[in-house]
Amino acid sequence: MTSALERAADLLGRARFPVFGGLFTDIRGATAALALAEKLGGVIDHAAGESLARLSLIIRERGASSASFGETRNRADVIVIVGSEPLERDSDLIGKLFPEEKGLPCPGDQVRELVLLGGKQASAQRRVPLTWIEADDGDLPILIARLGAAVGERGETTNDQLAIVAERLRAAAFAVFVYSAAELEEPALFTLLDIVRHLSIATRAATLALAVPGNGDGVNLCSTWTCGLPVRTSFAGAVPEHDARKFATDRLIESGEADALVWIDALAEQGEHWPRGVPTVVLSSQGPVGEGADIVIEVGCAGRDHDAALFLTPISGIGMVEATNPTHDKPTVASVLSRIGELIDAKEAA
Amino acid sequence: MLIQIRGGRVIDPMHDRDAVGDLFIEDGRIVAKPEGRNPDEVYDVGGKILMAGAIDVHSHIAGTNITLGRQLMPELPALAAAEGQPILASPAAWGSYATGIRYAEMGYTTVIEPAMIPTHAIEAQAELAAIPIIDTAGLVILGNDDYTLELLRGARTGGDELKDYVAWTLEHSKAIGLKIINAGGSEAFKFNARTFDLDDEVPDYGVSSRAIVESLQQAVADLRVPHPPHVHCNNRGIAGNVETAVATIEATQDLPIHFAHIQFYGYGDAGKKGFSSGAPRLMEAVNKHKNVTVDVGQVMFGQTVTVSGDILRQFDARGAASPKKWVINQGDGNGTGVVPYNYRAKSFVNALQWAIGLEIFLMAEDPWRVLFSTDHPNGALFIRYPEIFHLLTDRDERARWLDDLPADVHEVSNLAGITRELTLSELAVITRGAPARLLGLTDRGHLGPGAVADIAVYTDQKNKRAMFAAADLVFKSGALVVRDGKVVRVAWGRCYHVEPGFDAQIKRRVNAFYDRYYGVDLSRFGVTEAITHRPDRFATVPCLN
Repeated sequence: MTSALERAADLLGRARFPVFGGLFTDIRGATAALALAEKLGGVIDHAAGESLARLSLIIRERGASSASFGETRNRADVIVIVGSEPLERDSDLIGKLFPEEKGLPCPGDQVRELVLLGGKQASAQRRVPLTWIEADDGDLPILIARLGAAVGERGETTNDQLAIVAERLRAAAFAVFVYSAAELEEPALFTLLDIVRHLSIATRAATLALAVPGNGDGVNLCSTWTCGLPVRTSFAGAVPEHDARKFATDRLIESGEADALVWIDALAEQGEHWPRGVPTVVLSSQGPVGEGADIVIEVGCAGRDHDAALFLTPISGIGMVEATNPTHDKPTVASVLSRIGELIDAKEAA
Repeated sequence: MLIQIRGGRVIDPMHDRDAVGDLFIEDGRIVAKPEGRNPDEVYDVGGKILMAGAIDVHSHIAGTNITLGRQLMPELPALAAAEGQPILASPAAWGSYATGIRYAEMGYTTVIEPAMIPTHAIEAQAELAAIPIIDTAGLVILGNDDYTLELLRGARTGGDELKDYVAWTLEHSKAIGLKIINAGGSEAFKFNARTFDLDDEVPDYGVSSRAIVESLQQAVADLRVPHPPHVHCNNRGIAGNVETAVATIEATQDLPIHFAHIQFYGYGDAGKKGFSSGAPRLMEAVNKHKNVTVDVGQVMFGQTVTVSGDILRQFDARGAASPKKWVINQGDGNGTGVVPYNYRAKSFVNALQWAIGLEIFLMAEDPWRVLFSTDHPNGALFIRYPEIFHLLTDRDERARWLDDLPADVHEVSNLAGITRELTLSELAVITRGAPARLLGLTDRGHLGPGAVADIAVYTDQKNKRAMFAAADLVFKSGALVVRDGKVVRVAWGRCYHVEPGFDAQIKRRVNAFYDRYYGVDLSRFGVTEAITHRPDRFATVPCLN
């Protein structure tokens, strides 16, 4: 182990512009990765960096009109699930959003209902009224735009179903649109926000983005409070710089701008493949990692081998997950990265 | 090791001390002059001013809400710097690390985050732990959460169960006190209310804002928590709201209570524009009710961002967003509103807000009850404090500022007629002694033997802005951390919280509540020592006897 850490410190100490990618890790792991990236003048990114970049861009440009999972589950009377990914990601999502027991006090006495916008038809329990609107040719952004026009009563709505849903949304006490940032690009996200803000003039409405895989939201929040910017931020200059395209891991490796990669894959959920092409240190809790890594360091799995602070859907925030099978045999991502930082400091001092 | 700080003017109002003398430090604490021993280290500070490290009782430095602000406004430091505000034009300049560094450079050693969301306390505590040098503590928010409201349904008082619930919430989040933000107003917003007054009732629950505050106030008093409920009133920022503030003060039943950023409630509705200073009326009530403390929430001109759990008022304010973007996050309990704002000296309303804040400071009969704050970042970024110290201590400086303001401000503000200048000792009260006393942090805010050796040394100068922007020396727990206005050693502080104790049954009941309504176990959002790798991170503030 010591020699692997020393070799990693060698490799990274020589690197001119290292990328810290993957980042399937807990808050302490993210904190340590940010600290090391800052020390070495590298880049911080996440395997779900594309989704995080979209969410970050929307909030930076326009803001947000969001709801927590708990408020949606307890108080939304019309829930619109946008696209197919929300139900693909969590087959029990409808059950969680429509629990059998009555939720917290909320206005109105309408029966709670579900709208599936685009995506595939799904079955809900009989007690949940369901409307499914199919996207023509699978074009979800167009369907969202048409719904926006219908809600705002702009132009002619030729689709009767859309007109009915728009009417229900206007009459709803609290409508929430649930979506996955992996499935919708920025224009569609802006349109959703416009719909919600239009509805909010007279009533209440909000969006709820599904949690980004790999503790993406947690890592992104940690990056934000640490350096004021989301992931895909470079520490190479005098002040940190964020650029969702320039500092994407894949692009930096492909273009040869980055000269080292630290890939972190240390959660119970399946991580992503890392891009090949530069000297690579892999921190993994997933067993054999395949060909191509110069140095592999086995680490504990956050939430399984050790307690971990992670973004949790039910509280729409960072919570604590106790280890299901605590072990002290494996180091944490945080301890490995901190140790590498110390070894680099020691070499520089020598 | 014995350290001597020799020959400075020691300003320590808690001990009625304002005289040239020495301070001695050993093992991180201030000690009496030890007889027959030579100090191991001497700092000669002849001609300098010595004060206890400053304590900020209300500054949004950590947690979901301020980080939403960072997500919305990464350009805030750049915008502020471009206007000449003393901040580096980097998004990192209002990150956790820079926050601790800048506070320390000004001589601050303890800062209170006033709005931890109960279910998001882990993020707030992780962020506080990422702030170097200063000690911190958090206030946890109740009063718009459904558990409290259910206990108060109809005309019930909540009784012992409310007391246990408050105690459990404080312990679960490792908070130092309780925050109440527009009690019932955020819940009413969920029923599409757009205004909410002191005697309005929360829909469905049928409990008034007044009753929520009174019940929680009683619970905190019964628990003997040193810091009284920290209250953000209804109707923030609305012309004529001074009547709400006065009614709220008069409703406080002689139990201790703290009102936050009271400037935002100091508004009358006189004058041609229907907006005037309510400071005289407000301060008459504050001065009379000795159970009441306030912090001011001073406004300063320039770019900032407003961040608040008062989602109802923030929703209303979104139209004034500058730049034109905003966040309304309809979260559990209060939710959050984030609205960027630029206070302009040429704006009648903003200029009057600025004047009202200063009036409140200067009309306070007892500075021990009128504490310093800007409600960072809501009234101004905390980096502006030295400018405000200058304004409070120098009437000529105030006159210079007043000259640049719209003429009609003078018709509805009394500031121009106020000649009072706060003394350095009074400044030490509102930034050191009073916050420490209010928080129950008896080991700081003063320079007596036994106090934590948090000490700031300044060069006395007429320009108080320059004086307080950069301390000559700052000691944190006896270690030198700042020299010539720059951090020379990055240490890590502690986080203070209370443990009032509760009947264990409450845990089962609250767990059943969260299981049913949120599908989550309490352990998922409980703050434990595991939040950092520093074993001595948390320290308990004893409850009153």
